[in-house]
Amino acid sequence: MSALETTTARVVDWFTPKIAMARIAWLRTILYLFVILDMHAFVRDTRDKGEHPGLYQPLLLARLLDLPRPSVANTTVLYGVLIVACLVGATNYFPRIAGWIVAPAFTWWVLIGMSDGKVDHDHLALVIALWVLPTVGKASYGDQTRSEAAGWAIRCVQLCVIATYFLSAIAKLRSAGWALTWPRSAVLTWAIVRRPHPVGEWLLHYPWMLHVMQWVGITAEFLSPVILWLKGRWQLFGALFFLGFHAANTAILLIHFLPTVVCWLAFAPLERIVPWFQKRRSDGDARQAEDQAEEGREAQQQAGA
Amino acid sequence: MTVVTSQGDVRLGRAGKSVRVLVALVGIGLLINGSVRASDDAWPFGPMSQYAMSVPDDAAITYTRISAQTDAGTTVDVPLNIEGAGVARAEIEARTGEIVKDPSLLQQVADGWARKHPDKPKYVKLELIRDTTQLVHGRVEGPPASEVLATWAVRR
Repeated sequence: MSALETTTARVVDWFTPKIAMARIAWLRTILYLFVILDMHAFVRDTRDKGEHPGLYQPLLLARLLDLPRPSVANTTVLYGVLIVACLVGATNYFPRIAGWIVAPAFTWWVLIGMSDGKVDHDHLALVIALWVLPTVGKASYGDQTRSEAAGWAIRCVQLCVIATYFLSAIAKLRSAGWALTWPRSAVLTWAIVRRPHPVGEWLLHYPWMLHVMQWVGITAEFLSPVILWLKGRWQLFGALFFLGFHAANTAILLIHFLPTVVCWLAFAPLERIVPWFQKRRSDGDARQAEDQAEEGREAQQQAGA
Repeated sequence: MTVVTSQGDVRLGRAGKSVRVLVALVGIGLLINGSVRASDDAWPFGPMSQYAMSVPDDAAITYTRISAQTDAGTTVDVPLNIEGAGVARAEIEARTGEIVKDPSLLQQVADGWARKHPDKPKYVKLELIRDTTQLVHGRVEGPPASEVLATWAVRR
């Protein structure tokens, strides 16, 4: 095999790692239930937009697909279809049918929600996850069969999680005319003044602390792709760092990014949950059996005494 | 076509694998294109531009709000979210120019509030206010200056 072929084969394998089907089953349950939460807690004004379409400014995708303007009728149907399909999808029954309904329906839901002049950037990984999950067949929570189809879907979600951070570092360079001025700027001060609350207002007295946070933030965003190649404990540290980053953002700016945070689970070895639980239970049973045997002996000894 | 190996792993066939890798590469291409050239319009492949701007050390930070006089004689800040008056602050900020030209657009804020909170005091007069906080050497200098941009006497 030539060097080029070897490299191509390696790249192809990187995009399609073998990952246990169980991880897909867990992700389906978690993400489809999360979509229901999202519709009520985060992108929750889609049905309001159906009632007041006056402020509707369709985004590119909606114009390309010539999607109808939101109305009470279509947003109510969309809501009902999403709830039913998510509930079915979460059970892992009919995963493809449910999945192929949720993916376009939720994309449209978010598209309407963001068509008022303000676009949030926390939904990339979740939306892409919903599009790739139905490409994998039926899975169960304990299925340890390793599959490349599952691996590709997981890899796509991981890529989008990391892209969310890396590309926000790129956006910071771009907005300054491709220069590194963001970390030394007053952006966090600006953000806190516009969204005042106790923790942030206390920090306003210490601009140097805000600058440190900006440097840490942009450095971490630039380095985030490394996490794709880290393994085991190191990858866990990487993930925990970014979860801490979101905790800090939530405290300072009231921005939680939960739709991205939940997708970090694509990195987690969820397929180990069932074996771990079974082992614990069988260990427990063994111990219980031992304890019973022990009690039996003691009882015999007492009876014999 | 999928292939099951001797270890029980399920592998993808050649076509399935090629299509998937191609889709992933196209997706990455779209994301890069979005970050380098596109705007928010290209969602979900637009740039991750939230809080991405470099704010200068001497910036004037503006914050737009709506103040309301109620029929109970009180003055309150209108809660600019879906549960409050049914409009988000971002929408108001994006449309400040239009509201200044045509203050009657504020009527929908009063209507939204009255519809969502029928048992609360009604708004009788609305003011669109811009608070400006001046930064000096990156620090907040004094309290914000308020400027009334538009006034609207609410129609019943």
